[in-house]
Amino acid sequence: MGWEEAQARGYEEFVRTAQRYHGRPIFALFCGDKDAEGRSWCPDCVTAEPVVRKELHNLPDESVFIYCLVGDRTYWKDPNNEFRRNLKLTAVPTLLKYGTPQKLVEEECFKAELVRMLFTED
Amino acid sequence: SVQAHKEDKPQKMMEVNGLTPVPESYDYDLIVIGGGSGGLAAAKEAAKYEKKVMVLDFVMPTPQGSSWGLGGTCVNVGCIPKKLMHQAALLGQALQDSRKFGWQFTEEVKHNWMTMTESVQNYIGSLNWGYRVALRDNKVTYENAYGEFVGPHTIKATNKRGVEKLYTAERFLIATGERPRYLGIPGDKEYCISSDDLFSLPYCPGKTLVVGASYVALECAGFLAGLGLDVTVMVRSILLRGFDQDMANKIGEYMKEHGVNFIREFVPIKVEQIEEGTPGRLKVTAKSTTGNQIIEGEYNTVLLAIGRDPCTRKIGLDKVGVHINEKTGKIPVNDEEQTNVPYIYAVGDILQDKLELTPVAIQAGRLLVRRLYAGTTTKCDYVNVPTTVFTPLEYGACGYSEETAVEKFGEENIEVYHSHFWPLEWTVPSRDNNKCYAKIICNIQDNERVIGFHILGPNAGEVTQGFAAAIKCGMTKEQLDNTVGIHPVCAEV
Repeated sequence: MGWEEAQARGYEEFVRTAQRYHGRPIFALFCGDKDAEGRSWCPDCVTAEPVVRKELHNLPDESVFIYCLVGDRTYWKDPNNEFRRNLKLTAVPTLLKYGTPQKLVEEECFKAELVRMLFTED
Repeated sequence: SVQAHKEDKPQKMMEVNGLTPVPESYDYDLIVIGGGSGGLAAAKEAAKYEKKVMVLDFVMPTPQGSSWGLGGTCVNVGCIPKKLMHQAALLGQALQDSRKFGWQFTEEVKHNWMTMTESVQNYIGSLNWGYRVALRDNKVTYENAYGEFVGPHTIKATNKRGVEKLYTAERFLIATGERPRYLGIPGDKEYCISSDDLFSLPYCPGKTLVVGASYVALECAGFLAGLGLDVTVMVRSILLRGFDQDMANKIGEYMKEHGVNFIREFVPIKVEQIEEGTPGRLKVTAKSTTGNQIIEGEYNTVLLAIGRDPCTRKIGLDKVGVHINEKTGKIPVNDEEQTNVPYIYAVGDILQDKLELTPVAIQAGRLLVRRLYAGTTTKCDYVNVPTTVFTPLEYGACGYSEETAVEKFGEENIEVYHSHFWPLEWTVPSRDNNKCYAKIICNIQDNERVIGFHILGPNAGEVTQGFAAAIKCGMTKEQLDNTVGIHPVCAEV
C-alpha cells in the first residue's frame, strides 16, 4: 500500500486526523487558508505547495500526508494560537515529519531536494 | 593498471612514474572524514567557494549500543547536552535559593531524569536535522558511512548495511575526533557506561561512581549530584591534569562540600554485576595506588571518564602513509594543519599538541579551507584560547596557569593578583562567602602584561570571554586597573 493524503482545517481537526493515523509515518504541510478562488493569503505557501506535491510520490509506503490549513491571517499572527503553542510552529509554510524534530520552514519548502530528503531519509 | 568502478562510471587510472596508480580526475575536490565541529565547518566553508565536497560521518555504537546523528561529539555527546544538564542542576539549586527570596511552594522539589533527557535529545535531534539541511542546501554530499583510505586519493565508504563505495578526491580532511577510553579491566565494557551513553540514558543512573578526574568526569559528577543523585568520584592521582592546580583543588573542595564523595588514589580493578536492571546494581573493586589496600563499593551505574582516544587507527592511514603518534594515536600537523602527506589535512581533537575544543576545530577548519580555496594566508591562532569547565562552581580560564607561568618566566618575573569574592546573588540565600575566586597572572618584565586569567564562580564562561579578547589585545595590569567595573556583577572583581 502506497501513501495516502488527508486534509484538515484548524488545529482540532489536525490533531484528530493525526491521531487517526497513529502508528504510521505522518508528514504534514501547514498553509494559510485559501479564499473563494482557492488562493492562500500566504504567498510563500502558494510557492511551496506545488513543489511539495511534486515530491509526494517519494513518500514511503504506509505513510500519510496531512494537508492542513491553519486559519486566516489574523489567527495565524496571534502569538498564542494552538499551532504555535502546541506544535511549536514558527511560520507557514511548514512541512514536517510528525513526532520528530525534522521540519522545513518557509523558503526551505521551495527546494525540491530538501523536501525529498525529508520524505525519504531517516 | 587498476580500474575502479564507481556506480556506472568507469574511472581512468594513470601510472605515475611506475608507482601506485593515481586517479587522473577526482570525484570530489575535498572529502571530509568526520561530520563533527571541525569537519562540518570546513565542508560548509568549502562549498561557499563552489568546491565539490563530500562529508562522511559514521558513529560506531558504544559497547552499550548508543549511537547518534550528524554533528559530532560536541552536539551529540559533549558540550551541548553537558551544558543543558549542568543548567538543569543549576536550576535545582536556584529553586532551593528561591525560597529565601520569597518564593513559596510547599512541595519538595524532585527531578525527573526522563523528562530532562527527552527534552535534551529532542533539541539534539533538531540540530542533527539542521546540519543535514545545511549540507544539502550548500550542495555538500553527505553519506552516513564509515570512511577509510584504501590507496592514494581513494577512500572506501561503508554504510550501516555493509554496502561499500569507492570515492576519490584531490584533497582530504581528517576530522574523526575521539571516543572515550575504557579501563581494560574485567567488566568494563559489559557494565560501565561513558559520556557517550550518559546523555541518552533511558533510565535514571541512580547511585553513580564516576571514574576519572578529567573535566568530563567532574562536570558529569557535578550535575548528577546537582540533580540529587548519590555520586562518588574515584581519582587515580590529581584533579584536572593540565589545568591550574590551585584552581583544580578549589573546584574539588567545593564539590566535596556540596555532596560529592571523593575516593582519592584508587583505581578500579574489577566491575561485576550483582543484579540486572535499569539501572542494575554493580560491585566495583578498587586497589590503592599507594599500597595494597583493596576496597569494594556498590553502585547503580559506573561512568568511565578517564580519557579519550583519537579515531585514527582504523581508517587506513597506513595505506596512504600518514604518520600518527603510535603511542597516542594523534596526528602531528604543521601550522597549516597539513599532515606529512601533502594532500591530506587534519583538524580537531585528533591533532597532536593542540587544544581539544569545538571553537578551535571550527576556526582551524574554516581558516584551512580559506587558505586552500580563497587564497588567504591566515593561520589558526592557538594561543590564549579561553576555556570553561562547567563544574558546579564554574571555572573560566585564559592563558597560562600559575605553574606554567612560573616554569616559563621564573617565579620572580611573575606577579599574581587574586581575590575571593561573594556574588551578590549568593548573599541572601546564605551560600558560601569564601569560595568564588579570581586571579590574574602578570609578566613583570613585559609591563605587567596579563598572561593568565582564572575565575571560579557563577557564569565563569560569560565572564571569561571578554577578558580573553582583552588578553589577545595585550592588556596590562594597569589597563585592567583603569577599567571601571560594572556593579554589582562578579566580573567587576
